[in-house]
Amino acid sequence: MSVRRVISGFIYALSGAIGVLAFIYPFFTPASSAAPLGLAHGQDAPLMTAALVGLSVVALLLELQGQTISAKTVAMLGVLVAITSVLRFIEVAVPMPGGFSPIFAPIILAGYVFGSRFGFLMGVFTLVTSALITGGVGPWLPYQMFTAGWAGLTAGWLSRIMHHVSRFTFNAPVAAYQAPGSQRRLTLDIVFLCLFGFAWGLLYGVIINVYFWPFAMGPSAQTWMPGVGLSETLSRYGVFYVATSLAWDVTRAVGNVALILLLGAPTLRALNRFRRRFYFEVSASA
Amino acid sequence: MLDARVWVLWALTTLLTASSARNPLYAAVLLAVATVVGTVCAADRAQRVPLSPLRFAALAIPLSALFNGLTAHIGDTVILRLPDWLPLLGGPVTLEALAFGAINGLTLTVIFSGFAVFNQVTPVRDLIKLTPRAFHEAGVVLSIALTFIPQTTRSLKRIREAQAVRGHRVRGVRDWLPIFVPLLVSGLERSMALAEAMVARGYGAVADQEQPLCRQGLLALGLSALFGGWLAWLFLPSWRGIGLGAMIAGAGLIAVVVWLAGRGISHTTYRRRRWTARDTLVVLGCGLTLGVTLVPLPLVNRSTLYYSTYPSLTRPAFDPFVGLAMLGLLVPAAVNAEGQADSTRSIQSEAIGGADERLGQETEDG
Amino acid sequence: MIHFGRLTYTYPGSHHPVLAGVTLHIDEGEFVLVAGPSGVGKSTLLRCLNGLVPHFTGGKLSGSVSVAGRDPVAEGPHTLSRVVGFVFQDPESQFVMDRVEDEIAFALENAAIPPTEMRARVEEVLDLLDLVPLRDRALDTLSGGEKQRVAIATALAFRPRILVLDEPTSQLDPQSAEDVLQALVRLNNEVGLTVVLAEHRLERVLPHADRLIHLAPPSVEGGRGEVLDGPPRHVLHRMDLIPPLVALGKELGWEPLPLTVKEGRTFAEEAVSGLRVQVSRSNLRPEALKSETALRVRELSFAYDGVPALRDVTLTVSPGELVALMGRNGSGKTTMLRCIVGLLRPEQGQITLAGEPVVGWETADICRRIGYLSQEPDDLLFADTVAEEMAVTLRNHGLTGSPPIAPDDLLERLGLGGLAVSYPRDLSVGERQRVALGAVTITRPKILLLDEPTRGMDYPAKRELVRMLRKWQAEGTATLLVTHDVELTAQIADRVVVLSQGEIIADGSATDVLATSSFFAPQVARLFPGTGWLTVEDALAGLSALSCGG
Repeated sequence: MSVRRVISGFIYALSGAIGVLAFIYPFFTPASSAAPLGLAHGQDAPLMTAALVGLSVVALLLELQGQTISAKTVAMLGVLVAITSVLRFIEVAVPMPGGFSPIFAPIILAGYVFGSRFGFLMGVFTLVTSALITGGVGPWLPYQMFTAGWAGLTAGWLSRIMHHVSRFTFNAPVAAYQAPGSQRRLTLDIVFLCLFGFAWGLLYGVIINVYFWPFAMGPSAQTWMPGVGLSETLSRYGVFYVATSLAWDVTRAVGNVALILLLGAPTLRALNRFRRRFYFEVSASA
Repeated sequence: MLDARVWVLWALTTLLTASSARNPLYAAVLLAVATVVGTVCAADRAQRVPLSPLRFAALAIPLSALFNGLTAHIGDTVILRLPDWLPLLGGPVTLEALAFGAINGLTLTVIFSGFAVFNQVTPVRDLIKLTPRAFHEAGVVLSIALTFIPQTTRSLKRIREAQAVRGHRVRGVRDWLPIFVPLLVSGLERSMALAEAMVARGYGAVADQEQPLCRQGLLALGLSALFGGWLAWLFLPSWRGIGLGAMIAGAGLIAVVVWLAGRGISHTTYRRRRWTARDTLVVLGCGLTLGVTLVPLPLVNRSTLYYSTYPSLTRPAFDPFVGLAMLGLLVPAAVNAEGQADSTRSIQSEAIGGADERLGQETEDG
Repeated sequence: MIHFGRLTYTYPGSHHPVLAGVTLHIDEGEFVLVAGPSGVGKSTLLRCLNGLVPHFTGGKLSGSVSVAGRDPVAEGPHTLSRVVGFVFQDPESQFVMDRVEDEIAFALENAAIPPTEMRARVEEVLDLLDLVPLRDRALDTLSGGEKQRVAIATALAFRPRILVLDEPTSQLDPQSAEDVLQALVRLNNEVGLTVVLAEHRLERVLPHADRLIHLAPPSVEGGRGEVLDGPPRHVLHRMDLIPPLVALGKELGWEPLPLTVKEGRTFAEEAVSGLRVQVSRSNLRPEALKSETALRVRELSFAYDGVPALRDVTLTVSPGELVALMGRNGSGKTTMLRCIVGLLRPEQGQITLAGEPVVGWETADICRRIGYLSQEPDDLLFADTVAEEMAVTLRNHGLTGSPPIAPDDLLERLGLGGLAVSYPRDLSVGERQRVALGAVTITRPKILLLDEPTRGMDYPAKRELVRMLRKWQAEGTATLLVTHDVELTAQIADRVVVLSQGEIIADGSATDVLATSSFFAPQVARLFPGTGWLTVEDALAGLSALSCGG
């Protein structure tokens, strides 16, 4: 059991590391980088990065899917993904400020209640389904899947942490909800989830921009002029980010917070009741 | 109607070729090709893509040009000079920089339109069928999701009406709660009924199971190779070759694990699509384009693929052979491969129509 | 072939076993009907046949189950799916794919059946269930009955020897239910499939059943519920909740007990032969106040996308009157209700509530005066407790400080007295409906609109509903009830209105419309044509009056 745990840990760490590296490598790449496919001036670097991120998602999928997923999990994932996709339609149909996307809050809440494995799978599948339905399949998809998956995954970890930090969790019996003071403790869950939602809202934007930046900036020979150092690259990226998407990402982050704040507690309660009624069979999640 | 895999190949070819061809002339050729294929093959014009390629171009090219012009200060032809004390922006704004940015935008537009065509011509269910055997369950999840989307939309409408009947008005975000929670809970309850039905029909697992240890180990190994190789390739110039090799090995290992996982799943296919001559032709066309772009061949001047506006603007070079090779991507239009009218995409327009109806009700009610 | 030996099962987290010491035997080729009130364990019993209990549900099981020589408890549903096909209650939640053929093939694909054999089986099953014209259709576009037939087809794809169905027709309208049952009878007769069917509405199935198993609820003293098992006529003698025809037969001592109207006709003619029959109704109904109308609909017209759904409909309901609105599927009944509450805006016509025209009002305002219960009461429930549900409605209408009726009183009246702090979704179907009813009647409306309230309900729950409606009626509430259930209408309706293709084709007292219609006549009316008797009570009273009278 512990060997398995160690290997699992490795897989998470490596997968996450690939994601992080995809994010920060432009800041560190030396001035002259040859291209893998023999073409001049490293134009394929962003494609390769996308492929690598895609592979890391595949690896995590394999790990979390395991040998089999139970029929209950499959059915629940399917239905929840459907519900979240319908919410995405609302996003498309009704003009919302900025980058507000109603799909992150459900993914984070589901990961929080049902575990990190469920959260990861839900994140990945939601993005795939929305992409298929809205015609948004493209080289940005691996990044979207990666981010949404990790949002769900870490939400599951957060709930484990909360379990240890405060003895109340939403896992407590129903009487705990009605006990005096329980509202306060549920609020603790909500507060952390809000912070979480905010962080991932921003992070999503940052990561997607990372994908976009090398494309937009073109070959490295122009991006890094001779003698350009890390700070210069960072500042250029900073400008790029501010110019293109900070406002967008802040509205997304704030939107997540609003959703979780206003709808989170009752949703958590409803999900938890459901979980106790039906889902008792789920094996220990990753 | 082409096989979905062929379209995937086509889209990827467009992606690779567009990324490799920094030359605006080639980019224009590719854009024309994508537009033609899109016009000929996309059956249902009503299918939605988030943004039409034209609008994307209108956004991407000027923005990119502007951004590059303002931040990169190299080039010979100076248009204006910004005060030097401005951080990052200070310095000469040159035509070359603007042009470079514009070319970047053009490249992005080509990639975008390639995928726009892809999204329009492939029916969603066909794409789901493409999932490798190892991810068979993922395919089932996606199928269920697609099946339940229309039901969920109807449910949403019904719940909204039910709440209106008890006096509920939607005024703020908080008011979505009585609509969202029943939607969620009844959806989940229905998913349990579905799970029961699936199990009763012999669908594999009643309980979750983890993968065998050896496979897990291989996966970890593959990922390590991938990561290590990439690190080496990025940061250790002298070890570049080894890094590349490690990455390929890592990717290979992961592919092996995928294959192994697939072997454990027994599954047959009811509808088998036969490979037609059209499919082969399109594959050949893509192969031609890729081959000429990536492989050094005699008579072909691949260096024309790269074009730099620096230090000063020059006329971009154009090799007719390369240009012709890019027409290899035109084959789908040539064989007149009509995309299938996709009922699933119209689900979205139906759902959005539902949303419009709701909005209309809202404005009517209050 | 199927054998239960002292089967005892307890659900996880529960203290009392739902099945205790059940011993049964079912032979091959029999058509078995399993009856009993809700919650008594019919579904559980059925799920033991293919191993869903205990593999899917968990819990503790003791005793033995043997199905065609196999042990479901040991082998599990995966293996048993080849021997036992299972069809569930909700046609909406059984499908993974979007087309009929693909859905049938899904199970076969997962079992890795070779493609040629798959094709053969799919064709076979499509023929068996008469689905060939529907094979390319999207499942979304099918009616409930057609969907259930597809569900049966998927269950039969593995060529099982036993077909188990858990209330397959409870969500369907009568016509679709009839189609499904006919398909089952055909499968049983021609293919020799053993059919085990759990049903509430016994009247349709009784003539075809070889055996009736009745699970009785545990008695009040705590004794175990009895399991009655045998040929239908024997078991019916010992059951309480039975179709009107059978109840009448029991009362009047008709032997052998008639199961169909045809069988009952000879007895009925004997009973009334030589007696002069007066057309009368024994049930006294409170005189409806004709002077004022609570709800008036005048020349209402509505069309969906240009397709007319209501044409010039005119209807009135007086206080204290209960009007039943009947008609085939798609005749416009639900559309009318939705126009009345303001969910749809009619193209022309006027709707007045106690004299006030309400067309164009917001639904929320209209529903202060009308209580509307839709077909899916679950759509309403989202709060944590039953009491909270009522409070939400009060809050919505701004009546929290001064509720028109005290919530506790309303709960008592609805029979939910002890459930004020229960989570609504944990309750039974009947209880949930009553919670929803409470949520819409907390404003003490003078008008009540009910859309198919008895769908999927068992007899006891129906009786409860009738009791409540009668009480409301006595208080002066005007009720408009949309239903397919003829027996229910016979019991409580004062007037019956029949809609067809958006037009009213009949509007008169219950006796006039039901007794004379060939489609909508209840069993008693069919037995005794021309008497105007609609319910068992009517017939008994009428016959005794006749025999006394002369």
